[in-house]
Amino acid sequence: MLDQLPGNQWNKATAAHLMNRAGFGGSPAAIENLHALGMNGAVSWFLNYDKIPDDTPAPDWAQPDPEMVTRKEAIKKAADPETKRMLDQQMYQQENAEMAELRYWWLRRMALGPRPFQEKMTLFWHGHFATSFEKVRNPYFLWLQNDTLRQNATGNFSQLLIAVAEDPAMLVYLDGAQSHKSHPNENFAREVMELFTLGEGNYTEQDIQQAAKAYTGWGLSRDQQHYQYHPGNHDDGPKTVFGQTGNYSGEDVLNMICDQPKCSHFIAERLWRFFVQDNPPPACVDALADVLHKSGMDIRHTMSMLFRSKEFYSSSAMRAQIKSPVQWLIQAVHQLEAPLPTQPMSLVMLRQLGQELFQPPNVKGWDGGIAWITTNNLLDRYNYAAALVEGNRVPLPGLQGQMRSLLNNVSPDGLLQIGPADVTVLFSAVDLADTQNFLSALQARFLNGDLKPQRQNVLAEFLKSRSPLEEADIRKAIRLIMCMPEYQLT
Amino acid sequence: MNNTPFTTRRDFLRTTILGGALSWTVPSFVAQTFQALGAQADGSLTQIQTGTDGPILVLIQLAGGNDGLNAVVPYTNDFYYNARPNIGIKNDAVLTLNDTLGLNPGMTGFKDLFDNGHLSVVSGVGYPNPNRSHFRSTEIWQTASDEDKYLADGWLGRYFDNACQGCDPTIAVNIGPRLPQAFASHTPTGVSLENPDSYRFIGAGPNDDETVAYRSMYTTPDDALPDFNSGGGAHANSGGSVSMVSGTVMLQNGQSALDFLERTSMDAQVSSDKIRAITSKTPMRSNYPNNGLAKNLQLVARLIAGGLPSRIFYVSQGGYDTHTNQRGSQDARLKELSDSVKAFTDDLASIGAFDRVLIMTFSEFGRRVQENASGGTDHGAAAPMFLIGSKIKSGLLGAEPSLDPKDLTDGDIKYNTDFRSVYATLLQDWLKTNPLPILGGKSYPTLPLLADSPDPATPTAAKPAKTGA
Repeated sequence: MLDQLPGNQWNKATAAHLMNRAGFGGSPAAIENLHALGMNGAVSWFLNYDKIPDDTPAPDWAQPDPEMVTRKEAIKKAADPETKRMLDQQMYQQENAEMAELRYWWLRRMALGPRPFQEKMTLFWHGHFATSFEKVRNPYFLWLQNDTLRQNATGNFSQLLIAVAEDPAMLVYLDGAQSHKSHPNENFAREVMELFTLGEGNYTEQDIQQAAKAYTGWGLSRDQQHYQYHPGNHDDGPKTVFGQTGNYSGEDVLNMICDQPKCSHFIAERLWRFFVQDNPPPACVDALADVLHKSGMDIRHTMSMLFRSKEFYSSSAMRAQIKSPVQWLIQAVHQLEAPLPTQPMSLVMLRQLGQELFQPPNVKGWDGGIAWITTNNLLDRYNYAAALVEGNRVPLPGLQGQMRSLLNNVSPDGLLQIGPADVTVLFSAVDLADTQNFLSALQARFLNGDLKPQRQNVLAEFLKSRSPLEEADIRKAIRLIMCMPEYQLT
Repeated sequence: MNNTPFTTRRDFLRTTILGGALSWTVPSFVAQTFQALGAQADGSLTQIQTGTDGPILVLIQLAGGNDGLNAVVPYTNDFYYNARPNIGIKNDAVLTLNDTLGLNPGMTGFKDLFDNGHLSVVSGVGYPNPNRSHFRSTEIWQTASDEDKYLADGWLGRYFDNACQGCDPTIAVNIGPRLPQAFASHTPTGVSLENPDSYRFIGAGPNDDETVAYRSMYTTPDDALPDFNSGGGAHANSGGSVSMVSGTVMLQNGQSALDFLERTSMDAQVSSDKIRAITSKTPMRSNYPNNGLAKNLQLVARLIAGGLPSRIFYVSQGGYDTHTNQRGSQDARLKELSDSVKAFTDDLASIGAFDRVLIMTFSEFGRRVQENASGGTDHGAAAPMFLIGSKIKSGLLGAEPSLDPKDLTDGDIKYNTDFRSVYATLLQDWLKTNPLPILGGKSYPTLPLLADSPDPATPTAAKPAKTGA
């Protein structure tokens, strides 16, 4: 059983933990406001987000494009190879530009939108139902899937599963749209059990082959803009899945999968890893799975139990999770009370740090945990920290060229700049009065906790002879703390 | 007391190449290194590097499941053409290796290497009860586990733990953003980099105050090290008594996330200094094709030319998951692979390093013999591997598997050679280390891969390790 956090343990540290995990972090003032709501109030503020209006408009191109097929045919039939090459190139660049817009559109929602928890859950489901632009090559489909994940983010899991499975993005990504009763494609059938619901070892090869038959008939409309069921392609004969035989449809099989006891366990473990810690204690996963199962796979209820539990706030969970690149960037922006960097800057950073949205490395999604960190992207984190704090007046090697290619060499000058953060507003006169006060304020704001003594010493040594502190000193101290191991944790 | 072979801290510093940079980070891994070094105090298993000698293994991962049958084509086999009426490669198009096998037509580079005696194909490589999941099968190849066992560490990670304790972090270099699971080890080893120019802490200048403060995290006085002879070991010293320090939760092997980050920060700084010293004096070499794999191999050649003391380089190439329209995509990937490797070996030869390098390709599985309705193939089982080097015995190794439908398992090719036999061969005959502890104590028959390989009939007891220059 998950025990509720005792009221006397709700304090600034636990409030900051909820802020970082249910959302993407916040300034000391935002954390203080959350703290003032009390734990139940704070958890409900995050979870009951439907009460908060969110009228973010979709990108203007995010709508069906019934002419797409005709246009593609026309390109194929282009008179000479040179024209064809040019038209192909044009389409390719337009897709890339829309995709960049979509990535930034979502990043802004995560960083600045009114419903951080809905976006955090959407990010969780994106990693869970990982689908990549690399194969799908259709920004509209990916927007549609993103919207499906957002609308179903905290609803019923089986409804979400069916909605995602029948979205065009998944039908393309795992070849469902290519599957026909004469040759059922097993790609989706395998991944849905292995990665989305049950996990390796909880089904047989025969279950996959039989389930693959049930999914036949799912496909795209003639204009390829939405899901359509094609009865002629569907195998309506009997299938035997999990030892039961019937003339199942694809939806039947997905519901049967969700009814497997392993399913709630699998989802509970994934939730625990993402929101709490890398190596979940088995008893905690069992307890959360039980909540999920008993609620009829209700995600909002389950998350509400999780965020109120003592286990969520245990010392082994707090400030022990390695930040994902998205978390690293957005949390830094909140801590610095600075604007989100421009589209090309933000997107190149995320790509380099290993989390390009809508482009997970494979259908398993991002591994997370220590897999976020390599020597290479750790150095990148240090250098991007400099850009966020000090501005990128000094060009960063590698970054400039990457951004130019992202922008297709359109004159990018204004977009390649990050101004220095206004650090003077982050600290009070008392904070700046002496080194010890400043070190405390620095750690509170940027770590919600403490550095190890040897690294406190590095900073103390750096600040020793600088009194009064000048703006440049404050900036360098911030950049240094962002280059320390503790800063990579949340 | 067999775990305190060093009498002074200075001894310890002298013994580990990391010593010079070892500083505030003294978490449990140091104790582990320390004890392992104690166990190996005679140095016989620790691979000493000078940077200009010693064998190098370059791994190329073909991610997605490379279809072996269209890479090494059984061009006289009717079963092959029956199963692949649309995507089969015509017998007059293959680049002939022998009377029955030929390479995909795009692989002219590999054909050249074969004709020059530098390429060997091992047919029918796989493992028992093959798994058709990308992730699980990749994991099996990366960890060298049995198909029903889950191992946290990689096969190269166990090589590092067994043979490279206390080695420089650049003993293993991954070109790419993420460390492969094959590198996962008890003591984190190996570095990842993509672009050597940005592989550093960038401050306003080499001696500005910010850079100096940053660097001071990696150099503290000798007496800041814990006393290893106090009996408490590093555990008594790690973390101190400060409360509320981040990241004290233990990951596997008793490491916390913070320990891991400290260690990786240190490796980043040490390897950054070293790699930048090399690239600043070694120019980029030309004549590579224009693709990502080639670019990465070009960087590997540059690091080898500059004397980076690495044993292992790891690069990967994606795009082999060819469920649809396979001929268009796989042929192009194989051409990239073959052209890039040819350029790489030419480059190595021109700097006199080809003799030190052996290249191995691998993929998580081959693909189904029968083509599917989308002009592609689904996940399968056994497939060939390519091994390239000037010291190898060129030719075909391993028995060619049967494609007769009655010999297939669920439509997939049965393996004849366990992939761990290839690993055992490379570990024993190329890296000169005992494969037994690395491959779970199991003995796999080695292949007569190298020109100086023992007769295959000879029992393959591990040879004593060489200790470099």
